[in-house]
This record gives sequence, C-alpha cells and structure tokens, in this order.
Amino acid sequence: MSKPLLYLLFSTYATATIGYLLHLIWRRPIIAKGALALIAAGVFLQTGLLAHRWWLAGYLPVTNLFATLFFFSWALALIYLYFELRYRIRATGLFVMLLNLLLLGGALPRDTKISALIPALDTPLFSLHIIFSFIGYAFFAMAFSIGALYLLQTRLHSNMLPDLQTLRRINEEAVFLGFSLFTLCMIAGSIWAHIAWGHWFSWNIKSVWSVLVWMFYAGMCHAKFIRRWQGGVYAWLSIAGFGVVLFTYLGIGLLLESNHPLD
Amino acid sequence: MTDTKQKSLSLLHRLWLLGCSLKLAIALASAATILIMGGSLVMHFYPAIFAGMENDIMARWLPWAWAQAPLLVAWVPLSGICIFLFAINTLCCLIDWLLKIKARWRKTGEYLIHAGFILLSIAFLWGNISGFRSGPHRIFQGEHLAIPNMQGLSLLLEEFTPQLEPSGRPLDMLNQVSLWDNGTQVAEALVRMNHPLIYNGLVILPTSFGQELDGFKFHIPGRGVIELRTGSKLSISSETDIVLHKMLPDARRNNQGRVIQTGSRLNNPAMLISLQGPSGKLWEGWYFLRNPLPRQLRESGIALRPTEPVFKTFSLLTINRDPGDKVAAMGAGCITLGVFFALFSFYRKRAHGDRPEV
Repeated sequence: MSKPLLYLLFSTYATATIGYLLHLIWRRPIIAKGALALIAAGVFLQTGLLAHRWWLAGYLPVTNLFATLFFFSWALALIYLYFELRYRIRATGLFVMLLNLLLLGGALPRDTKISALIPALDTPLFSLHIIFSFIGYAFFAMAFSIGALYLLQTRLHSNMLPDLQTLRRINEEAVFLGFSLFTLCMIAGSIWAHIAWGHWFSWNIKSVWSVLVWMFYAGMCHAKFIRRWQGGVYAWLSIAGFGVVLFTYLGIGLLLESNHPLD
Repeated sequence: MTDTKQKSLSLLHRLWLLGCSLKLAIALASAATILIMGGSLVMHFYPAIFAGMENDIMARWLPWAWAQAPLLVAWVPLSGICIFLFAINTLCCLIDWLLKIKARWRKTGEYLIHAGFILLSIAFLWGNISGFRSGPHRIFQGEHLAIPNMQGLSLLLEEFTPQLEPSGRPLDMLNQVSLWDNGTQVAEALVRMNHPLIYNGLVILPTSFGQELDGFKFHIPGRGVIELRTGSKLSISSETDIVLHKMLPDARRNNQGRVIQTGSRLNNPAMLISLQGPSGKLWEGWYFLRNPLPRQLRESGIALRPTEPVFKTFSLLTINRDPGDKVAAMGAGCITLGVFFALFSFYRKRAHGDRPEV
C-alpha cells in the first residue's frame, strides 16, 4: 500500500474532524455536510485500499498491528457513517473521528508490507473471525464514544449534541450490534480452534479475555432493563467495556504472550 | 390449603423468582468476570502452573495444579461455580420464557442465545470431565497407533507427505490416515492443517513432523553406493549377509561396556549389526561409524565406507477427544440462529416501541 494514499486518507479524516470542530464553533450546517462528505470519501478510499490489499495478498490481510489498526479504523468510519445517516448525529462525529484518527495515526508509521500467510490461518473461518471481531470492536468503540458524549451532555445540555434519549438509543444499539457481531466472531473462532487445535475453547489469555469481552457486553445487553442503570450507568459501562476491549486487542497483543501476537 | 403448604409453595416461588432474577444473573456474571480477569493475569505470571491447562482436560489438570499451588488456582473452581450458577440462572430464565412463549415469542432470538449458552456450558463440562487431550504422537508411515483411552481403536498412517516451500518453510502436512475399530476400518481422511479427522468426538490433527536416523549409505569397492536401513539386509557374498538391527544417532559405551544412546542428533552414530552365514549368526556387535570397521567384519573381507546418513520422516499427530462436541455444535448453532433472529427483531421492536422505554 502506498504511503501517500495512506496520508491522503489520514488528511481526509483529519479535515473532516476539523470540519466538525468548526461546525461546533460556527454552527453552519454546510460545514457539517462537508465533513460528512469527507468521511464518506475517506470510507470509499479506505474500502478501495483494503480491497486492493486483499486482492494482492489473496487473503484478508489482517495479521499484524498495521493491518488490524487499518481494518479497525475502516470499520469504525463505516459504522459512524451508518449512525450518522440513520440518526444525523453530526457533532458526535468529532469524538468518533478523533478516535479513528488515533487508530489510523497508530498505523501510519508502521510497515505496510503484506507478509506470507501462515498455514494455520489459511481458512475462511479466519477471515470471518477477523471481520466479525473488528466490526464488533468498532461498534464497542462507537458505544464508548456515545457513552462519553452522554455523560458530557448530562452536564452541558448543549443543543449541538444529540439529546440524551437519542444518545441512549444509539448507545444501546451500538452495544447490541457489537455484541451480536462479536458473538459471531467467537463462534467462527471456536469452530476454527476445534479444527486447527482440536479444542473449541482455548485457555490462552487472548481467548479468555475474548470470553470476558463477550460476557461483559452480554451483561450490558441485560443491564438496559434495569431502570436505575439506564442512561448514566450504562454510559459508564460502555466506557469500561471499551477499556476491556482495548486491553484484549492491544494490551494482550503487545504486552503479554498470546497466540494472537501483534507485531 | 394449610399454612405449611402455603409457606413451602411461597418459598419455592421465591426460589424460582431468584433463579430467574436478572440482578442475580448480572451479579454472577460480574463475579465470574472479575475472578477470570484476575486469574488470567495470574496465568501469565505463573506459566509453570498454567502452561499445562491448554494441553489437558480440566478434570486432570485442576487436581494436579491444586496440589501444586491451591491459592494460585483457586480462581478456576470459583469462577467455574459462578458460571455454573449463571448457566442455571439462564436455564430458569429460558424455562420461564418457554412457559410464556405465546406472549413473548418476539424474544425468540435472545432466548436461542440463552439456550446456546446453556448447551455450551454443558458441552464444556462434559468434554472437560470425560474427554482427553493427547500428543503429539510420533507415527511413521505404515505404522498403527493405539488411540489412548479407547480400547480397540487404532490409527494407521497410510501415507505422509510434508509440503515445504522452496525456502524450506513448512506449508502443510498431508497425512492419509484410517481409523480402525477392532480390525474394521471405521473412518479415513486426508488429515492436514485445518482439516482434521473427526470421528465420534475424536479429533485427529497434524501438529508437526520430524526425521529420525534410519540407516546409512556406504561405499563398497566394486559395487558403488548402497543403502542399509534398520531391518534391512545387505548381501556381501553368496553366503554372507549383513543385517542392520538398530541405529543410534549419538551413542557411546558406558563403564560396563554397554552401548547407550546419548542424544537424538547425529553426532557419533552407531549401528547394531549382525553377520549372517548359511548356518546362522556368525557375529553380532556395535559398529561406531566414526571408528574403523569391527575386526570380525574386516576379517570376513568386508569393506564398507560410510558416506551419508539415511533418515525416515515421521508425523506428529495430536489426538483429542471431546464427547461434548456435538452439544457444543448445537449450542453454536442456537447462538448463531439466535443472533440473526435477535438482529431482525431488535429493529422490529424498535419500530413498534416494544423495548425498555427511553
């Protein structure tokens, strides 16, 4: 993947983020529309780059830190686009896109080379596992952003942000969709583990924490029925849940030894 | 109804309500989560205790680990109890839903996920009590391997072909195997990476492969280079043969004069050979290939000059058994189906306002 295209992508998202910031200051709808158009253009470009890498590699190239950050960033941008088009959450984009810039910024200095696929990963179950996993993570990142904005909105009561009810709806939807896709990721991973290692549950630290992520968000899908937890507590849980996700994705891959190393 | 009956009914009712309690579910799941979070970090810092957790079933690993360091492994049974109670709580909720299914059929997706979780819990428990994990087992082409813990069942490796890249990097391991039950073939498959042989809870899959010294090539004046493998015979003359009985890659003589193996890498190879004549064995002894030929062979007019080793390739296979695998597959099916139902019904319920009021 050529670095200039990556920098162009980063600039597109960065400009969109600045656009949302200016929209907050000047409150001009045209600026927000421009930012949204830039994000759509960014997603289009990123999809093209991802498809090109997939075509070049012959497999979904999500096997190192650069590739996972790039895929995570693509999934988050795509999901933001979905929520924006569905709920028109404009200023919320500032927070989500800042997170996306962090992901893409983390990928930029890394080697973009596509390495040879190790034989154990040569199965469609690997692609399904990865796709569901990172799209699930992206929904959890969205829930984290919306949760943080919910807490901000309870103090600011700003008309630039969506109202608390909308934020709660989006948060619950993001958690539910994230949980659903992460469940499919766990199922694909378990089937793959069974045929590759002969047992469908592994006591590897990454697998253990993936179960914890699943249990945490399963709990969140239930927590919305507890009246006292609706809204504020749910927002805090979304933030805490993303902490668990980040540790599972980056903490274990970079700090601890696991069968899902990130280099 | 008497007071006692009423009281016991009310106690049962209260117990049932507790069993179905959402708050209890959250409390149990939270307790299990916290225990496993802490435990997973203990796992990382005490690999000597926890490394074997992956290679054995819980019913074998836990008693061993408990004997080593009960405080370090206490989180495993504690979190197991929490998850077991959580599964019972989930079962109560599922039964409660089934009893009211006419009014609550819209939640089919969610409760299929509940059913799947219960099935997975049962499968995990079953597999970890009565299954096994074994290997890697070393097996040569044409060899039978008895399946551990399963009397009468054996595995035959019919053909083994390792696939390598030009750089020598292993790509795949093709094992043509057949499974035999008391002399009757019950299954066969080409076992390779991500393509195991699965039969009645058994999973047979390739782990790795290696080579073992099997013989040597020799130069014989006037005859050129010949190969002598373990168990093979080399005719020296019309009446004399050399038979190779055993080959050691690295050997030495101990104080008692016995030849012992000192390593598995090719270093000081030795072969146990015998000289056979028309009337039977003429001589048997060890030939250290770095030394001159034994006197008895030289006196028989034999001239052998070792040129290069001959190896035979073996496959390393993992053999696991999980009797709960079909239950786990059913659980996975329920969950997958449940997710799709729930995704559909989530938006339908949103459109109809059938959700916790915002």
